[in-house]
Amino acid sequence: MNGFNLDAARARKARLGKVIGNPGYLGLLTSAAVFLLGGAWLVAMEHKYGYSLLGIGILLTMPAAWWRFELSDTPVRGGDLTDRLSNDCLIALKPGVTYTPARLWQGLQRNWQTNFITAHLFIDAGAIQGALSDDPAQLGIVLQEAQRIADNSSSITVGVGHIITALLRTSPAVGQLLSQFKLSTSDVDAVSAWLGRILDTGKQKTDNFGGIGRDWASGFTPRLNQFGHNVSANIERHGVRFRALVDSPGVHDMKAAFSQGTGAIALIGPDGIGKTSHAYALAQNVLAEAQDRMLEHRQIIALDASAIVSAAQRPGDLEYLLTSLLNEAVHAGNIMLFFDDAELFFQAGPGSMNATQILLPIVQARSVPLIFAMTPHDYEQLRASNMAFAGQLTPVVLKEQPEAETLTVVADAATNFETQHHIVITYQAIKAAYRLSGRYETDMGYPGKAIHLLEQSLTHAVNQVITEGSVEAAIEQTRGVKAGAAAPVEADQLLHLEDAIHERMINQKRAVEVVASALRRARAGVSNPNRPIGSFLFLGPTGVGKTELAKAIAATYFSNEAGMIRLDMSEYQQPTDVARILSDGKEEANSLLMQVRRQPFSVVLLDEIEKAHPNILNLLLQLLDEGQLTDTNGRSVSFKDAVVIATSNAGADSIRGHIEAGEQLEQFEQAFTDELINSGQFKPELLNRFDEIVLFRPLTPDELAQVVRLMLGGINQTLATQNISVELTEAAIAKIVAVGNDPRLGARPMRRALQKAVENTVAEKILRGEAKPGDHLTLDAADLPI
Amino acid sequence: MLFSLFGWWYGAGWAGTVRSTRRRLASLASMFSIAILLRTLFSPWRRIITYPGAGIDAKLRAFGDNLVSRCVGFTVRIFVLLAAAVSLVFLSLIGLIELLAWPLAPILAAMLIAKGLLAL
Repeated sequence: MNGFNLDAARARKARLGKVIGNPGYLGLLTSAAVFLLGGAWLVAMEHKYGYSLLGIGILLTMPAAWWRFELSDTPVRGGDLTDRLSNDCLIALKPGVTYTPARLWQGLQRNWQTNFITAHLFIDAGAIQGALSDDPAQLGIVLQEAQRIADNSSSITVGVGHIITALLRTSPAVGQLLSQFKLSTSDVDAVSAWLGRILDTGKQKTDNFGGIGRDWASGFTPRLNQFGHNVSANIERHGVRFRALVDSPGVHDMKAAFSQGTGAIALIGPDGIGKTSHAYALAQNVLAEAQDRMLEHRQIIALDASAIVSAAQRPGDLEYLLTSLLNEAVHAGNIMLFFDDAELFFQAGPGSMNATQILLPIVQARSVPLIFAMTPHDYEQLRASNMAFAGQLTPVVLKEQPEAETLTVVADAATNFETQHHIVITYQAIKAAYRLSGRYETDMGYPGKAIHLLEQSLTHAVNQVITEGSVEAAIEQTRGVKAGAAAPVEADQLLHLEDAIHERMINQKRAVEVVASALRRARAGVSNPNRPIGSFLFLGPTGVGKTELAKAIAATYFSNEAGMIRLDMSEYQQPTDVARILSDGKEEANSLLMQVRRQPFSVVLLDEIEKAHPNILNLLLQLLDEGQLTDTNGRSVSFKDAVVIATSNAGADSIRGHIEAGEQLEQFEQAFTDELINSGQFKPELLNRFDEIVLFRPLTPDELAQVVRLMLGGINQTLATQNISVELTEAAIAKIVAVGNDPRLGARPMRRALQKAVENTVAEKILRGEAKPGDHLTLDAADLPI
Repeated sequence: MLFSLFGWWYGAGWAGTVRSTRRRLASLASMFSIAILLRTLFSPWRRIITYPGAGIDAKLRAFGDNLVSRCVGFTVRIFVLLAAAVSLVFLSLIGLIELLAWPLAPILAAMLIAKGLLAL
């Protein structure tokens, strides 16, 4: 028993309807018309065949009517599964076939709903069919599940989408296959619901918005039509557009506020949360549903601030124009005014005006409903600058919806992109847009930021498909971060990061190892994504390579040494310097936060951290804990893609003492950290927040000799443009090390010694003509003027 | 197939004519805004009104002007309502004819064909 009977009358009618089809219907209608007209003409001519032709015409009308009203879409009347199956299913499935889950999939595979689900889940239909059971006994479970899915979505019909969803949900083998595509059954449900919403939109009847006489008792609005746009009229002309929001809490709150007698609403929410969409959804709601007297048949007109300001030529024009617009709205009696970006009406400036004095009497008189859309920051500014006006507004705060609801809105927006650009946007891409915009688009709210990111991903479509990779590519391009999985080349680079760093770093193996491991953990997605990639405190004497290691990381992994963000913390010793760190760019264009905002994927080097003011160290606690800081304008800046390295010379003498006593770093690491805390140089809560505290030991003479060789490589690179190279004998290197080695300053004096010894010598040889292009110079100890 | 066709014709098809007439009547009533027009029958036309001044003359003039606006409004609305009434009656008649003629159509067709053939 299949659970459905494909020999039932309804199934046979559906197949007959398919056979006749639209061409058959049109053929029947045309023939009927020809017979009826021809018959009538012959009857008029008193011809003997006239009546017969009329009779045939009537007979032909009957099957045409039958196809039009029943066969083209056999009505569902509930009951058993055969009565509930959609026409598509009844046509696609063949009688006499013993259906199994795999055969059912095969039977429905060509249907557009199957294509919708497989394309949006980005799965291979053939692979799914292969994973499905060929056991007829399993079919009952699938069909039961399909009916349950249909019931849950309040659908009387059991459609192709429901059956395909049931097939994907009930097979354990398919479940395993889906997990390989990073999909779960809840994702399958979400795509099924997405399909359901598209089907519902297609079935939606035209709304009744009041008919021809609706506005005859309301005034004309010629000026408002000129300086604003009638949102309600647009909805009437272009159909339903804000279905998901029409019954949202935000729209209900606005309606409730107006019903309770408020004259003006402050619609508050961050950019991207959908303030404009909510106002438009209110317009649709008011048009489509019976309202109380305050809102009945009201139309929303959105005023265009820039058009109003640019129309004002002389002083006083602006006030006159706005007053006339408001009067027109009051007089018309059926208008609600919507002030999008309301801050443009509250503050005089280029392209904006301070209209609060003109608006205040209207708001107080409650003569026309007004909606002012603004961000929380703008609302606070309005309250601070004009409390008398702000106090008259009823705040309606839009809050971000839970993830599932937000994904629904983003998916519906994706449908619009798909229609406009003839592309497919996979559900994985929608989830990625949600996830990555949440991480990187901190200035905007959901769902706007996810939709915005999806829009940016359009240019990264591959074969007209937007995948998770397209969204990652978009965020990598716009933010300069690494969001996607590591490519083989990058993975290889990560696995051999230590070697790459040691090409420019001598020893300090432990320090290099912990940093490289942190980068590998972050890139593999193993580390906590809500903190910086890595945070390290490098401790050790001057000139042992702390800063050099930070530069090496920037150069090898972040591909740009110059892009390293470096702050000398000795310049931040005053309590007021906190504001310099947190500046939003107005006072300090290169504040730490502005640099990280511009370049989130970077190495942040905080040199000589112990010299910073304690208030700044407290900021560092938040940065390391939460991976973000908030600027002076209230916008958060993410450090989640940065490696934070703080360096300090604190306890350098102690490290040197331990090393000279023959101890290894690992042996005194813990004792040294305790020493730093006990001496009050660092607070324990700060030290605890670093991923690693790395001790750098002083370099031995052998290591200093290697440093000299590295530096010589740099000199040779410079000389390569003149085709001259220079080499040092071991004796020369030993001499430079002897001169440049200062236990207090590490390798730092080495550069000066090398400059004096090698660069000066070569420069003189070039000027004297003793070194020409193609020459290879070998310098011995005696050749060096040190 | 023929049995199915006649089954539908005298069952769901015939009942469908009643439903479709009802739907068409509701749609027509909505298109003519009948409820709104009845409620605003005496309202001024498009709110073209004069606000009364201070003196008795001004008040009388405003009253007169507004009376004219209301008369215009009333006239337009009453004509639309009349047009709506005529359309509704017409549509109802068509619906009634459809309802009555529907079951007779097959018989009529058979009779017409027979009449033509018998005349041969």
